[in-house]
Amino acid sequence: MTFVEKYKDEIADILSRYPVRRSALIPLLYVAQRDQGYVTESAMQEIAHLLRLTPPQVYETITFYTMFNLKPVGTFHIQVCKSLMCALVGSDTVIEWIKTKLGIGPGESTADGLFSLSVVECLAACGTGPMMQINEDYYEQLTENKLDRILTDLRSTGTSPLKSGPFMWPEPVKT
Amino acid sequence: MTTPTAQMVRIMIDGMTVNVPKGTLVIEAARRVGVMIPHFCYHPKLKPDANCRMCLVEIEKVPKLQTACSTPVDEGMNVRTATTVVNDAHKSVLEFILANHPLDCPVCDQGGKCDLQDFSHQYTATSRFTETKRVFQKEYFSPLIETQMNRCVQCLRCVRYCDEVMDVKALAPVGRGTMTEIKHFGFHPLDCEFCGGCVQICPVGAITSRLSMYEYRPWMLKRAETICGYCGDGCQMTVQTKGQELIEVNSAHGAGRNNGDLCARGFFGFHAASHPQRLTHPLIRRHGALVQVTWEEALEYVADRVNEIKAAHGGPSFGGLISGRCTNEELYLFQKFLRMAIGTNHIDSSARYGHVNGLQAMQLVQGTHRWTVTFEDILDADVLILVGTNITETNPITGLKVKEAVKKRQATLITIESLEPVVDTMSNIANLSHHHFRIPTSDTHHAIVGLVKAVLEQNLTQPDLAQRHPTYVNAMTSALQQISWQDLQAATGIEPDAFVRAAKVAAGARRVVIMAGQLLLRSEQGYSGCLTLLDLLLLTGKLDAPGCGFAPLAEENNDQGAIEMGTVTELLPGAQPITNDTERERIAKQWKGELPTDKGASLIEMLERARVGSLKAMFIVGENPVGSLPAVIHAEASLRNLDLLVCQELFLTETAALAHVVLPAASSLEKHGTFTNTEGHVQAVRPAIEPVGDSRPDWEIFSALSILLNSPMEYAESKEILKEIRSLIPGYSSLGPTPLPPKVDHSAVDRYLTDGYQRDLASRYHPISRASRPDGTVRLELAQSLFHSGKLSTRSKGLLQVEGSGRLRISPSDAARFALSDGDRVRLSSTSGEMTTEVKIMERVPQGTAWFPSHFGQAAVQLFECAIDPITHVPSFRTATVSMMKVA
Amino acid sequence: MAGTGKDVSSETLGEAGTPLFIVRLACNDPMPKHELILLKNMMQPGYTGSLADYEKTGGYQALRNTLGKLAPADVTAIVRKSGLRGRGGAGFPTGVKWGFLPKDYQGPRYLCCNADESEPGTFKDRQLMERDPHQVLEGIVLACYAIGSETAYIYIRGEMVLGSKILEHAIGEARAAGYIGKNVLGSGINVDVWVHRGAGAYICGEETALLESLEGKRGLPRIKPPFPATHGLYNKPTVVNNVETLANLPHIITRGPEWFAAIGSPPKSTGTRVFCVSGHVKRPGNYEVPMGMTVRELVYEYAGGMRSDKPLKAFIPGGASAPFLTPAHLDVKLDFEHVAAAGSMLGSGGVTVMEEGTSMVWAALRLMEFFYHESCGKCSPCREGSSWLVQTMRRIFAKRGRMEDLETLLDLCKNIAGRTVCAFGDAEVAPIQSTLKHWRHEYVDLINEAEAANLIRPEPVARR
Repeated sequence: MTFVEKYKDEIADILSRYPVRRSALIPLLYVAQRDQGYVTESAMQEIAHLLRLTPPQVYETITFYTMFNLKPVGTFHIQVCKSLMCALVGSDTVIEWIKTKLGIGPGESTADGLFSLSVVECLAACGTGPMMQINEDYYEQLTENKLDRILTDLRSTGTSPLKSGPFMWPEPVKT
Repeated sequence: MTTPTAQMVRIMIDGMTVNVPKGTLVIEAARRVGVMIPHFCYHPKLKPDANCRMCLVEIEKVPKLQTACSTPVDEGMNVRTATTVVNDAHKSVLEFILANHPLDCPVCDQGGKCDLQDFSHQYTATSRFTETKRVFQKEYFSPLIETQMNRCVQCLRCVRYCDEVMDVKALAPVGRGTMTEIKHFGFHPLDCEFCGGCVQICPVGAITSRLSMYEYRPWMLKRAETICGYCGDGCQMTVQTKGQELIEVNSAHGAGRNNGDLCARGFFGFHAASHPQRLTHPLIRRHGALVQVTWEEALEYVADRVNEIKAAHGGPSFGGLISGRCTNEELYLFQKFLRMAIGTNHIDSSARYGHVNGLQAMQLVQGTHRWTVTFEDILDADVLILVGTNITETNPITGLKVKEAVKKRQATLITIESLEPVVDTMSNIANLSHHHFRIPTSDTHHAIVGLVKAVLEQNLTQPDLAQRHPTYVNAMTSALQQISWQDLQAATGIEPDAFVRAAKVAAGARRVVIMAGQLLLRSEQGYSGCLTLLDLLLLTGKLDAPGCGFAPLAEENNDQGAIEMGTVTELLPGAQPITNDTERERIAKQWKGELPTDKGASLIEMLERARVGSLKAMFIVGENPVGSLPAVIHAEASLRNLDLLVCQELFLTETAALAHVVLPAASSLEKHGTFTNTEGHVQAVRPAIEPVGDSRPDWEIFSALSILLNSPMEYAESKEILKEIRSLIPGYSSLGPTPLPPKVDHSAVDRYLTDGYQRDLASRYHPISRASRPDGTVRLELAQSLFHSGKLSTRSKGLLQVEGSGRLRISPSDAARFALSDGDRVRLSSTSGEMTTEVKIMERVPQGTAWFPSHFGQAAVQLFECAIDPITHVPSFRTATVSMMKVA
Repeated sequence: MAGTGKDVSSETLGEAGTPLFIVRLACNDPMPKHELILLKNMMQPGYTGSLADYEKTGGYQALRNTLGKLAPADVTAIVRKSGLRGRGGAGFPTGVKWGFLPKDYQGPRYLCCNADESEPGTFKDRQLMERDPHQVLEGIVLACYAIGSETAYIYIRGEMVLGSKILEHAIGEARAAGYIGKNVLGSGINVDVWVHRGAGAYICGEETALLESLEGKRGLPRIKPPFPATHGLYNKPTVVNNVETLANLPHIITRGPEWFAAIGSPPKSTGTRVFCVSGHVKRPGNYEVPMGMTVRELVYEYAGGMRSDKPLKAFIPGGASAPFLTPAHLDVKLDFEHVAAAGSMLGSGGVTVMEEGTSMVWAALRLMEFFYHESCGKCSPCREGSSWLVQTMRRIFAKRGRMEDLETLLDLCKNIAGRTVCAFGDAEVAPIQSTLKHWRHEYVDLINEAEAANLIRPEPVARR
């Protein structure tokens, strides 16, 4: 089944939101990335066809944005913020921890294909740094302990309760 | 876009006052007073992008420096381009642009014609940059176009040209920031129209032609301004040579009718002339084989044989056929030679293959033999109607005018074409169409009838036409009443409402231009279809309205010239009918002789006469009937029957191989002359190289023979022939892109409206019967490819790299139906013959149709039946129903 | 937690989507000394940001009181009168911006909510959207009504997946309740709101780049004029407003422009700002305070002062694009005018604080790396300049600098600023220019160390 057939309804919903088809490009690329973990060439071609674009038009757009993967990445794509605000509170140390714990540097993946590491620019969590994003989730106020727990959780259950909920900081607490 | 009525404003540039239309960009206003503001990303053909920031200028009362390329002038604006501040800004931008540039000028093909080099020199640019330069990994880009991204200044002119002008969108700026590079799609090599526009518009050496890579420095080259010989658009191009070597072709911005734009054929097709198989010596058949002889031997032999045959059988036992690729001078001299030196009226040219249909329709309805419109009218049109043009592939530069009219000037486009509107990296005019009638070529006429019917039924006819010519309007009305919408819908698959909508748009517009292309002109309905289109203009009152008109597109570069030079049997020079006694006598007087009065034979009739033995000898110049005509015409058998066949050719074609004498001709890159383009502009052809081998321009050969035949037509140079043409034909008095198009001849229109229309009204407007196509068959059409023109271009190494063989283009759904994938082989068979070929799946091909490029069509052509138009004698053999089977 | 010296672990962070019950702040913050506007709801115990919660606090009353009761032009007039200025960075008066839309234009108009919060140091919009999405949505519907738009797109930065889900959910609630969709609250007005995720490009926070991106293209800023007000999304009249700007609207409508205009530093900087405090403070976070508060008060009273009680060395008052300021500027009032007068800008409200001991060359380099990574590449000076600057800065920091580099740096900055299509060019030079201005000696020290270490110094190549 082609990508477009597989996500027929979702694609129809996305297309209905825009008066000009090309606007659906980024949303559709997200659907494609969710499907395979990265955007395949055939998905780009299908999307081009659907939006009445040429494949180069899809390609020029997708390569402008950093969030699209054109190659497979690990099951868990760890992206550590290294911009100034996180760096002031130790993000470089976090990167070192991850390098040591997983044995991979930025741009690399673990041999089991579980983890990939990227070092990225500001993710809008400057008050709760150091922080990282793993796939869709944010993990903030990182400590070495917390990092260990997150990695263990991900390995065992595929998710971690340490991920951020709706953001507010200073954080209100339960009584 | 500034209109003539635009308000003028007065501004100062460097102290000079200039009046320009409001909205003019500062950079253009400055150019008018001779101030050249440096720039990379700006180009007059493109929307301003202001990305290179090189053109910064000071504008009084504006705090920051502004980009001259994106700032429109305003009344009283005071611009300074030469202050220290501006100069420093230019230097600093240049320093940035040079920062990552590899400075590899010694090995760069752009060296010597590079904007970056020139500005660096002008600003004595120095750089403080000592960091590491950005390096892109070298990647293969395409067979014809080379990219060297380290040199790229990221002005995106290539990308913008590919999108805005070409509507192709094959180039992608990939990545971000300094790492932005121009690519196609992933690691795929470039797949596009190969117009060469990106090469031409690149201000630096980032995109260059692989055909001339490392071959030259600009100052080594000799340049010749000439006209492309590959289609009727008549593009001006500069052919650059090193000695006898053809190096490169380009076309300067603003040059010619093409405004500096070219297509793949023009840009990459120039090597045909220097193909190693060019004929370089005269050949005479001796003991069955062609052997090399001297010109003297060959010409004397021909003269002797002509004298013998003429003495035995008379002048009318001769016939002549010439290619519409020859110059006007050659076409003219050919018919003069045949009519005067030989004494025959059996003359034809490749215009017979279709152009004659449009010409005769125009002559009948509006009394002209040319368009009444120009390319400018296409640009200015409110509504453009394209009928069977396949314009991107057949007339690509006329296609650019259509694209510009639609994309930049908001024209409404109506298309009756067999194209599926599919987006890929070759432009597709149906994508720009507002009213697209997707119809198989063989049914094109039904769609035209649908529009006429809608015009009549919706009362869109010009109000006073019915009063002035009630019988015409009544006859049309009743003829169209007999064609029901149900039948039309069944035949075309199109809702009546679609016709009504398009007809209303066309009738309601002020400036309407109808273009008819080869798919109509070369079809069985070529003549009647043109007449019906002219009816459409007449009924809506557009035929003689300013900016309106009918424009049949010429396929060969000088089809129009062939008509106007009288190189078809029914016409005299000036496109006057041979039956016009006054004209014939006037011309005879000027030629100081007698003209044959008989109605001559056209191409197919000549072949028939040859077959039965009444035609004894033929001169064939640059034409190849054996390779072009379908089997049912038996061209080979006919020609073998001749006592004398003389061929003037560049290559030993199937036809030349049968000849008794083969004379090597010079190509259009090797001679002087003129071509008349599709819109009637007569343009100068100039030699870029010396004639290859012992080849000679065709006119010299006619001239030499005429002397040997004691009917001397002596000219020192081609210009003298032109002089004679000018004295004979009023329209040729001026050369170049200025002559006004002819006006509709109202007496001709009146004649048509009174009784001219009656001749074939019934056959044009008759109820539709549609034969269904059996299962397992496809509708095969001979198609023009963008990468080739006739068979000549198949000798061009550049074009062969893009398209090296004929592949049958089929639709994805037919591919599925016949279980075919790209590259599979199929056998096609019809009652006339069969062939085997590879398939290529293309989404733009409609279901049930298969296109085969005519350039590789020797085998394919055998599958077609041939219909001859009873009035125009045009043979049509472009469509056939064939059965298709996959073979191993 | 590294920032506060206190590890706030998972116990205080809720599972995604679970309601959080609030009585006090984790850091034992004192009750605010002034009235909160935007953060008020989310400070309430048990407030989840659901439609029901929002309505309980008076949510959507402003919309009810507007539709059918106020003319669109009246809404614009109220907003203009309130003095509300854009909270995204440029600080353009919101009502004035709306007024630029063509009055007699027939055809669609668009509202784009700029939720591409990407300015380093800024994290307020994330909180506003995730904790009180309906406040933003009500603002969006009000703005749509005022400008006559039937369609709004929330362009949210791609990384904020949770935020986009919360917004989608809230839009669903609002649609079901008749606040969004066809015939809003029976008024005959139609407003559709869609969430559109970006995909990782800082430049898409620039309004015309945002529009390009929303059109499915590369996010390159457009040449202006024409401005979005006349030629925006799909070439139609368009308003682009920041999340925080829009969130203020319901309050301005409900409580009147005079009330709003009296808050902060009237007449030019009215209302509150949500300042995002990050860096070396004890209690980083979002603090909503009236404009005009001093940096000193924000840092030492709200954010708890310096984390290790070292002296403050430097701060950035308005996100990465704002020039660095020094302790001498601690009493500068945080409003548009005063910060500008001090040589920086209020920008996005991201206040980043650096303690004594932080290398200013390093800090500027970090930001320069950000700008190099995010330069879209359209304009030569910014594209080439950012790569040049970042390389020179890296070299200096690696103690391979030369004294003449400093003049070159300043000269390059001068040649970038004001020479580009958008304000990115001005932004990227701010860190270097301002640190060179205030802490030139740190550069000089590094270069002297390089000289002392006698490291290899490539000579500049003379080129013509």
